[in-house]
Amino acid sequence: MDHTELLPLTTDAAGERRAAAEIDEVDLTPVRTYWQLVRRRFLQHRLATIALFLMAILVTAAVVIPLATGDAFGRTDLTLINHPPSLIAPLGYDNIGINIFIRLMAALQTSLMVGFMAVTIIVVVGVSVGAIAGYVGGVVDNLLMRLVDVVLSVPSFFLIVMLVAFFQTGNMWVVVIAIGVTGWTTAARLVRGEFLALREADFVQAARALGVGHRRIILNHMLPAALAPVIVAGTLGIADSVVVEATLSFLGFGIQPPNASLGNMLTHAQDYVFRNPILIYYPGVLLVLVVLAASFLGDGLRDALDPRQRLEA
Amino acid sequence: MAIYVLRRILQAIPVLFLIAVGAFFIVRLAPGSPVDKFRGGRVSPEVIANIIKLYQLDQPLPQQLWSWITTFPQIWRIDAWGYSFTDGKPVLQTIASRVPLTMLLMGTDLLVTAVVAIPLGILGAVRQYSLADKTITVLATIGYAMPTFWLGFIIRTVFGAQLRWFPLFGAYTLGGDQSPLDLLWHLVLPASTLIVVSVAGWSRYMRSSMLEVLRQDYIRTARAKGLASSRVLYKHALRNALIPIVTLFGLSIPILLAGAAVTETVFSWPGLGYLGVQAVITRDYPTVLAFVMVGGIMVILGNLLADILYAAVDPRIKY
Amino acid sequence: MADHQASGEQSLLVVEDLRTHFATADGLVKAVDGVSLSIRHGETLGVVGESGCGKSITALSIMRLIERPGRIVSGSITLAGRNLLDVSDAEMRDVRGDSISMIFQEPMTSLNPVYTCGDQIEEAIAVHRDVSRREARDRAVEMLAQVGIPDAKRRSGEYPHQLSGGMRQRVMIAMALSTNPELLIADEPTTALDVTIQAQILELMKALRERNRMAIMLITHDLGVIAEMADDVVVMYAGKVVEASDVMNVFERPHHPYTKGLLASIPRLGEKRERLEVIKGVVPNPLNLPSGCLFKRRCPSRMPICDVAPPFQEIAPGHVSRCWLTPAGEPPEVGMAPAEDVAIEAAEALSVAS
Repeated sequence: MDHTELLPLTTDAAGERRAAAEIDEVDLTPVRTYWQLVRRRFLQHRLATIALFLMAILVTAAVVIPLATGDAFGRTDLTLINHPPSLIAPLGYDNIGINIFIRLMAALQTSLMVGFMAVTIIVVVGVSVGAIAGYVGGVVDNLLMRLVDVVLSVPSFFLIVMLVAFFQTGNMWVVVIAIGVTGWTTAARLVRGEFLALREADFVQAARALGVGHRRIILNHMLPAALAPVIVAGTLGIADSVVVEATLSFLGFGIQPPNASLGNMLTHAQDYVFRNPILIYYPGVLLVLVVLAASFLGDGLRDALDPRQRLEA
Repeated sequence: MAIYVLRRILQAIPVLFLIAVGAFFIVRLAPGSPVDKFRGGRVSPEVIANIIKLYQLDQPLPQQLWSWITTFPQIWRIDAWGYSFTDGKPVLQTIASRVPLTMLLMGTDLLVTAVVAIPLGILGAVRQYSLADKTITVLATIGYAMPTFWLGFIIRTVFGAQLRWFPLFGAYTLGGDQSPLDLLWHLVLPASTLIVVSVAGWSRYMRSSMLEVLRQDYIRTARAKGLASSRVLYKHALRNALIPIVTLFGLSIPILLAGAAVTETVFSWPGLGYLGVQAVITRDYPTVLAFVMVGGIMVILGNLLADILYAAVDPRIKY
Repeated sequence: MADHQASGEQSLLVVEDLRTHFATADGLVKAVDGVSLSIRHGETLGVVGESGCGKSITALSIMRLIERPGRIVSGSITLAGRNLLDVSDAEMRDVRGDSISMIFQEPMTSLNPVYTCGDQIEEAIAVHRDVSRREARDRAVEMLAQVGIPDAKRRSGEYPHQLSGGMRQRVMIAMALSTNPELLIADEPTTALDVTIQAQILELMKALRERNRMAIMLITHDLGVIAEMADDVVVMYAGKVVEASDVMNVFERPHHPYTKGLLASIPRLGEKRERLEVIKGVVPNPLNLPSGCLFKRRCPSRMPICDVAPPFQEIAPGHVSRCWLTPAGEPPEVGMAPAEDVAIEAAEALSVAS
């Protein structure tokens, strides 16, 4: 081997850099933005990617099918009682002639809607309270945290039952508000924690030194950094909210027939368990799928947004 | 240590009063008057007036609050928490009679969970990624994802209605001999429901905690000393891995209570949770108030337990 | 300089051609790839190299504490005639903590936080000796006193978090020495400590080594520590030994360009400089090792022949170097016979020649 091996064949800038790198071991890894890295880390998580896919399918089905079928979910056709599956009824008909699949999708829509809307309230309220508490600190922080303690003191499920039962059973909005009002505490705590830590961070000090106003600091600088745990908590919150809604409907507090909910479909199935036992499984399996999808999605997001936080799960 | 416990208990007392105030206002959230359910029924106006007087419902709110604050701690007085709107019995009495059954349910759950979940977690951590570990993880994930009410529902339908191995509801057979054996037979299904979800969750925590501990430097030191694997695992690793589990346990009592409430309702198990849910349905406000109080007390006790256990098992904690 | 004229004196520990590989998700990492060394009774061997060169893995391999995905692939580790890689798990456990003890870099986290210091030392004793609890406890307190911890009896009942870093390292040493091991492996024992504490710990180790006639394998990247403590030195780079000799030779007559680079990069008091000497480049990525000499990309003396793996040649009696340069430090001439690869013999020879 001779010395020419060491000389680059071309003399363009890239070639020279490469040659220099060969000798000096310069790190040539291309720089990526934060979000590109996040996306890459997320996609490496096989389970989370599948979960995202699954969630997408569920949401699409829940939106499209009820839209396409209108009020078919409540339409009973006594000539089709317990009719076996067909093309327009992949799961057949139940004992009062309702198309099971269509009703299931309508129920899914209700459950998902409640879940997403409740989580929205949770995130909005939780982030606001947490941000203020963490940023302002002192007495305000103390007061707000005491408030959190009081809300947490009452077992949340019972509080929700009470709120729903007292105000109006069967009303979806009441359910949404009840879940939202009782569930914001975790998000608040998370955001407060992040803000307390970030308050002393260099980039925040720098912004303050430059005279940037408080609101701008919070919104433009601190919030994006603190958002990671909130996103995760939100995703997991969806799973929780959907289950709570289903439980309420099952017990009779939540959505009532003829409106469809995964919970009240199960109540209905209870009455006909001997003649059509399969009915008790469909809504539950769907619930489990939603919970699994949301949970793995949350796990994947957590790993993607901050790999340091990762716990062997 | 004793001083620490005492101090924490004393700190909990003001919180108790805060909860009492909170409960008071929460119950008052309900629109309309508490006695609305009696109107339009067969209840005479005099009785309604009596109720209003008894509960001071015509007094200004601060006075009602004060009355409640001063009365509720006097639990030696059977009427301290009022009388049920549904059956007229003193609320304290009813609660006291229902508590043991809920304790039985929760206690069984905790005991079986501890015995099953901890070894499963250790197994999963020690044989990480093995077939056993993957199986346990998959089962645990599914088990944890199941809504409690649905699981209870399925268990009840399959084992109670279809297979007829166990009874469908209640704690005792109606008109039966109320023997302990009968109670146990009724306990199996509701307890199993809680246990499945609990084991699923705790075994994952245990595995997680164990893995975290096994990564630590002091485990490497223990091995370098020439200790046998079992010694390293059970004496050095386990003791450390249990610390977060033990403290988490205290904090999870409120969640356990909620799960128990749902299960009790599904199986009509006459415990605290079922009572509370019934009270809400029937607008039995004194009982609802009492239930909120009991819930709050359990949360306080849970936090207290968690703090004390933590101080007891971790020598690093200063108190 | 230690007198090793007694040729025929058996080495305490001989490592021959040790290879420990890690099958990671990204590829095969040859953390230790053909390392040979030996230690005589009572002598201190310094193992020097940058982070990632494989010195810690070598130590862990000797103790057979390598775990998945790592594996000792080949080689032999002979302690008093026995190959430790062949013995059963139970026999190895007897060796660990008894014949060979090890102390680690991080005193802050190397002790179990839920047991007292006394308990942990007692345990080390009780596992290897058939003594009563009282005897073990007394010995533990005695050890704590020996390592210079004042009020030893009270301290033995304290928990690790109640002690400072320096004290914790002393406890580790007490624990390691409580069974009177023949060999102490010290993996960067002072790196995590303040300079003043560092000096104290080194003094302690010297005193104990003197008293117990204990051999030490001292792993560090700090050449100052080596100069103070070691009798012989082994320089490692990227999983291989690149130079080995007694401490004087290595410091005064280094041969391998890497060793020279390490020595040159130490700033000296009284010297006026504009820039510090550095070794250009970075340690190669273990998943992407160059062919031939592993140091070639950073070597100021690089030659075309470096694309072929250099042999381990004997520069002088008791001094070996893995380089193509002649013992005089010149590039080899065309037509010269390649030097004999004396890797393994040299490792043993190092012990016997002076």
